[in-house]
Amino acid sequence: MRVFSLVLRELRHNRANAVLIVTGVASAVALFVVFFSTGKAREDRARVHMRDLGYNLRIISKAADMERFWLDGYSSETFPEDYIHRLAQTKGLTYNHLIGRLEREVTIDGRGFLLTGLSPEYSPPGKQKPPMIFEVPPGTVYLGHAAALHLSKSKGDEVTVLGRPLKVVEVVGEAGSSDDIRVWGALKDVQALLNAEQRLSEIQALDCLCLEPDGDPLTALRAQLESLLPDTHLVHKRNLAEARAKQRRTLQRENAFLLPVALLGCAAWVALLMTLNVRQRLPEVGTFRALGKGSGFIARLFLQKAALLGVAGAALGFALGSALAVPFAPGIFKIPAESVRLEWLLLPVAAVAAPLVCAVASLVPAMLAVTRDPAEVLRGD
Amino acid sequence: MTEPVLMARSLGKTYQGRRGAVRALGPVDLEFEGGTFTCVHGPSGSGKTTLLLSLGGMLHPSSGLVDLKGTDLYAADGKQRSALRARHVGFVFQLFHLVPYLDIVENVMLGAVDGDRAAAAAVLADLGLSGRESHRPSELSAGERQRVALGRALAGRPSIILADEPTGNLDPENGSEVLRHLGTFRDNGGTVVMVSHGADADALADRVVHLRDGQVSG
Repeated sequence: MRVFSLVLRELRHNRANAVLIVTGVASAVALFVVFFSTGKAREDRARVHMRDLGYNLRIISKAADMERFWLDGYSSETFPEDYIHRLAQTKGLTYNHLIGRLEREVTIDGRGFLLTGLSPEYSPPGKQKPPMIFEVPPGTVYLGHAAALHLSKSKGDEVTVLGRPLKVVEVVGEAGSSDDIRVWGALKDVQALLNAEQRLSEIQALDCLCLEPDGDPLTALRAQLESLLPDTHLVHKRNLAEARAKQRRTLQRENAFLLPVALLGCAAWVALLMTLNVRQRLPEVGTFRALGKGSGFIARLFLQKAALLGVAGAALGFALGSALAVPFAPGIFKIPAESVRLEWLLLPVAAVAAPLVCAVASLVPAMLAVTRDPAEVLRGD
Repeated sequence: MTEPVLMARSLGKTYQGRRGAVRALGPVDLEFEGGTFTCVHGPSGSGKTTLLLSLGGMLHPSSGLVDLKGTDLYAADGKQRSALRARHVGFVFQLFHLVPYLDIVENVMLGAVDGDRAAAAAVLADLGLSGRESHRPSELSAGERQRVALGRALAGRPSIILADEPTGNLDPENGSEVLRHLGTFRDNGGTVVMVSHGADADALADRVVHLRDGQVSG
């Protein structure tokens, strides 16, 4: 009789063992499927969360009075606008977002506001990233929530800033920060209004790092900026940086811990059940030996069983994972339902990987069967 | 009498235990000719099963050799030994050791060289098990199971049957039935070596060997 035929008959006979193995494999595969089906959406969610935390590096003029900087929230000293182009084009420096700002306190209709000119955002070369902040069209302004209230302006109105009428294209929602009294304009417009052409008061950066193989990346970045942007000072928003690092670590942990643990757990479960199966079938193994069957036959008896159950577990796990991911993952991971999609590529991957893992996990039990002295079992009579 | 088909020369087996070496068998010199029925008697622990398993190439001896049809069994590698066993030796055990998930024809087919279902069914018919082919071992009586185990041993058309207490779990009637089939095998030119506590097969045997403390005592 062929080994495969024996394997099928044994599976039918010893259903409990087979069901438990398939359940273990299917659970692990289902976890993979849920994880990968939602992976892109979870990464996007994490990215948005991190982006919402704001920029974590501020580059200001070295001449800035730091006490005033902290009191006002901006630097009144400026540096050349060209600095942001230099920074964006520097090799060996990575960043996710760069933006130039020019800021001053201004009086409009007798009240004080923060006038902020925004440059277009810079994305890393070759990567077009969604902007962290809006881009203000020339000749227009965005008004903070409190600014719009105090000036009694809404979308479509005109507001005169330092003698120049500008159209309100947006009123920003309440922020609970100094942004509520901010008037945002295009950088060129604000530079003209403040007589500060080609000047910036600040460059803000997100995830700006110097690619040095060793050492503290911030120290390396400071050293590099020293020569690249003379007369500037780097302010590191430590809390934001740490929050970002925590987010990153959480994602990394999910990937680097959970999945391998699931994989190892599945392998251990299969190994345990296959060991029990081998122990239970030792008299059968002895009988096959007595009938002249060799080690290869005995090993195939168990390895083919494990592989077959791996295939069954992969198929069931894929179906289960797909069925669970669509209705439940959005609630669990707080992601949009439409972002969860079935990853059909996982089916062939699981169909190859699961039997392989099962076979590898069954190697030791199979060796136990092969190397066990049949006389020991048969002499038990 | 014919030429010996199976010989044991200075055959010995020593087990290494925690309290030192334990001599389980030998040295033993025995010859088994074709068409003979040999009963091996002896108390528990006398080395009967060790002798039987060693003769069948299932238990590597510590000393001596086993010659099966002109081949030194333990000088051959594991693969050759398995092939020799499959070709020449049929085993029958006290606990039958049938494969529980196969029906009885399939169990018999396991022992057959060609694995032919019709031939296996014919063997079962010779053993009085016609009509039971699709039954699982668990659906049979002890006597019927032993006959299936005997059928599995016979299906490979071996030269030698090594039987380890084949009637030990059977009532006298079923025991006699199994012995009758072993006798028929001998009458057709086969060699039977049967280990037994009792004297139930002595009347059928051509020779009775007594083992005591691993040595042939008579």
